[in-house]
Amino acid sequence: MTFLLLLVPSLLSALFAIAVRPYRSIIGWSNAFASIVAFGAAVNLAGQVINGAEAIVYGPGEFLRVDALSALLVVLVTGVATLTLFFSPGLGRETRYNESQLRRYHIFINLFISSMLLAVTANNVAIMWVALEASTIFSALIIPLRLTRESIEASWKYILIGSVGIALAFAGTVLSYFDFVTLSGRVENALNWPVLRVTAPLLHPEVMRLSFVFILVGYGTKAGIAPMHTWKPDAYGESPSSLGALMSAALFAVAMYAVLRWKIVVDACVGGHFSDNLLLALGLLSIAIGSLSVVLVRNYKRMLAYSSVEHAGLICLGLGLGPLGVFAALLHLVNHTAAKSMMFFLVRGIEAKYNSSLIKDVRGMLRVMPWSGGLFAVGILALVGLPPFGLFISEIALFRAGFSMHHPWLMGTALALLGVAFISFIAQLNKMLYGPVPQGISVGEVDSPSWIMPLLIPLVVLVALGLTLPMPLVSLLNSIVEIVF
Amino acid sequence: MKGYLLEIGQALIALALAPGLVGFIRWWKARLQGRRGAPPWFVYYDLRKLFGKEVIVSKNASWIFRFTPYLVFSTTLAVTLLIPLIAAPLPFDALGDLLLVVYLLLLGTFFLALAGLDPGTAFGGMGASREMTIAAIAEPTIALSIFGLALGAGSTNLGRIVAQTVAQPGAAISPGHLLGFAALFIVMLAETGRLPVDNPATHLELTMIHEAMTLEYSGRYLALIEWAAALRLLIFFSLLANMFAPWGVAITLTPMSVSVAIVALVAKLAGLGLVVALLETRLAKLRLFRVPELLAVSFVLALLAVTSSFLLR
Amino acid sequence: MDSTLFTQLSALGSSLALLAGIALLWRRSLDSYIQAFKWQSFVIAAMFLMVGYFGHDRELYAMAVFFLVLKVIIIPRYLRRLEKRVGAERESEPYINIPTSLIVSGVLVLLSYALTRPLVAVSKLPTRGALPLAMGLIFVGLLVVVTRRKALTQVVGFLVLENGIALLAMLGTYGIPFIIELGVFLDVMMGFLAMQVFVYHIHGTFESMDVEQLNQLKH
Repeated sequence: MTFLLLLVPSLLSALFAIAVRPYRSIIGWSNAFASIVAFGAAVNLAGQVINGAEAIVYGPGEFLRVDALSALLVVLVTGVATLTLFFSPGLGRETRYNESQLRRYHIFINLFISSMLLAVTANNVAIMWVALEASTIFSALIIPLRLTRESIEASWKYILIGSVGIALAFAGTVLSYFDFVTLSGRVENALNWPVLRVTAPLLHPEVMRLSFVFILVGYGTKAGIAPMHTWKPDAYGESPSSLGALMSAALFAVAMYAVLRWKIVVDACVGGHFSDNLLLALGLLSIAIGSLSVVLVRNYKRMLAYSSVEHAGLICLGLGLGPLGVFAALLHLVNHTAAKSMMFFLVRGIEAKYNSSLIKDVRGMLRVMPWSGGLFAVGILALVGLPPFGLFISEIALFRAGFSMHHPWLMGTALALLGVAFISFIAQLNKMLYGPVPQGISVGEVDSPSWIMPLLIPLVVLVALGLTLPMPLVSLLNSIVEIVF
Repeated sequence: MKGYLLEIGQALIALALAPGLVGFIRWWKARLQGRRGAPPWFVYYDLRKLFGKEVIVSKNASWIFRFTPYLVFSTTLAVTLLIPLIAAPLPFDALGDLLLVVYLLLLGTFFLALAGLDPGTAFGGMGASREMTIAAIAEPTIALSIFGLALGAGSTNLGRIVAQTVAQPGAAISPGHLLGFAALFIVMLAETGRLPVDNPATHLELTMIHEAMTLEYSGRYLALIEWAAALRLLIFFSLLANMFAPWGVAITLTPMSVSVAIVALVAKLAGLGLVVALLETRLAKLRLFRVPELLAVSFVLALLAVTSSFLLR
Repeated sequence: MDSTLFTQLSALGSSLALLAGIALLWRRSLDSYIQAFKWQSFVIAAMFLMVGYFGHDRELYAMAVFFLVLKVIIIPRYLRRLEKRVGAERESEPYINIPTSLIVSGVLVLLSYALTRPLVAVSKLPTRGALPLAMGLIFVGLLVVVTRRKALTQVVGFLVLENGIALLAMLGTYGIPFIIELGVFLDVMMGFLAMQVFVYHIHGTFESMDVEQLNQLKH
């Protein structure tokens, strides 16, 4: 029952958006409230898992299965989805999109959300793949909401690179299925994750190694890990900000979820070192590219994208550092979700006020829009890892894990790169916050205070996680680490 | 003893058939284009005419110019001793194998290119450079395409390869075989100067590749070079026919099997000649910068042939 | 290795599919790409039928029909329509020239032989010998996407990549479970339609299909 409450609202919202022409704001509002229902269901599922249920299953042949890892992700995805739907264009605020664009947006964003939810709750890794591919397509259709040269370029790169990456992940899935079938013949539920997990020690290491490489490259493309990250700056830069929030927070988390699911299976077969080394290498590369690119960036949405690449690298690094590292990485995922989504929602207002995405056009933000500017500054400080925000705690945990696993040089390099990122982010932030107000920009927030207040929710989460680690979260993360090891 | 006699007989038969083959292709091309065409044996009259004509040599030419026709003719004739035209295996097989065949052919090409450059004419140089461009990619492919078969037979001795294929007819539709055939076919078109690589009937010097190198030759030199070119065509045809579809080649040296082999050879040559004539009528000449693309395709085909025979054993 | 008819035919079919993929690297015109893709899909659909027959699996017959309808009839038709609307531009200068890309594809096939050695060693199916060819086809599709400049060529390259994965699944496991195959078909169809929409937009906005034009977004 809870599963239905989780998955159905977004589907119904999509149908509603398709059925009603032309677009009316009632659609947007109903979508937003329906997503609260989904969020409630997700919290319920998480509660069940925290209270001791190992996994909750549903459907014929255990089609849907939620264990601790899935529970964490459904909460994250529905949380961001609810905020996104409330902040979507077309809910009554002034927007620069016309009716047909709004209708298209609401159809596909709900389909996008439902495909992501299916990906994290599906028991069968192949269904997970199908859902992720579907999410690529749905999100790609919203990026060029306004048809400009840049948005078409961004969406073309996104869909091509994303589809090729996903196809490679499918090749990896086929290879593991091949290994399984060679061992046990063609069984109906061969690709169910628990079955794979149990059979993994019997599978052939060389085949699983090859399969994991394909899968890491494939799903890593979706997560935006270097060197497959090239679509990220363009896509985040050109898409509507609410889609950017969903992609940077939710889609990214789902892709890392897929990588982690497969890591667990492959580690049971090959031993941890192979996947750990790959993850460490790609993680460090992502941190490097993310941090160094911020120096040259000219567009603040692209800056957020490079920050995403950097944090993706940190999470990858954490996943390769044993139990402590996985704990830290997942905590970092939660914090990053909160911080990034808040940033993208703020960016919408900034873009509307200054009519430009370029950093050089945004000046004196603190004077023009004190609330948004202040929150933006706070967000950037959080993203570079300053206390008292959650990202500081998770980064400390990550580095502690790294040093305890005897990787001093690796951690040192990562720290140095984070230092570079710190300097560049603060420098860019300063350019935006201070300085004379540009010609023709009126002082005052774009939205009324009632629209800014909800942005405090992710901020509160960030600060809470920075000051303390609530017990439910800790026990959930511990259960996940138990699944992994 | 019988073997040696057969070898020499094989070479003589090749010598005799080669001009007829060229004439046959020419005749069929004419018929396909709606003309009556000169009968196939007119090429022999051409050769006889050329042998009787006066030789004119440019003042700037060196000994290479005079030496090349003999070299080209003798290397091509030597190759006919090494390939299985009528019977396999043969006594001279001990002397040489696939690699020697390729090198002998390349030696002839090399000297012909030098002779094109020697008199110092512009067309000769142009023909020589074009020929070398094509030979650079085509020569490795010849070796590679038959190498796939050699891997299956365990030896690069051509007679042994033929015997192996006859013993295992099922292997003839394996990808290694078919890919090797396709690769060698394309290379044959390039090496013997047939369309779509080079038009043998062209009179426009700027479109020539092979003819441009031999523009300065006359008299008996030209006759030898033309005969050698015809022999080269026969060699490639017999390689294609007898390496990939060797049924009819005499394994034992009885008169019965030898005569069957001769008939089979003539039939295969005629068949391939017909195919080439058809292709020449249908295809247009490729622009020069597209020729390396075609040859790269044949190289990849040969590479695939080798890998699939190597790894599907 | 037993050279039964089944093994020979599967090797033959896979080689033909790989050759059709290599044709994408050789030819220049979009028409020849669509033809090559059509023939490749036809060969793979025929192979589904053959594997279904020799492997005694009825599901593969249905899969062959789906494959045929989707990839031999529907997608090439859409591609032709798209080509007519945006105007077929020839691939004049790919990022690496044609002889080089052909030789690179040969090297990639060698690489796939090396990579799939453990797979061939592990499998007991008679079709295992052709697994390297399927992996080679995946790499060839990837090469086309990465080195070609025209958006439509990249789309065809992506479709060839998908074909390669389907071939890999068929040769290695006699096909993946039917439900999943249906999901994959759905995804491929949706992905192709979405790409079609984008190609149309690219043409409308840029008046050219050259992805070199898509270079506005920097830093």
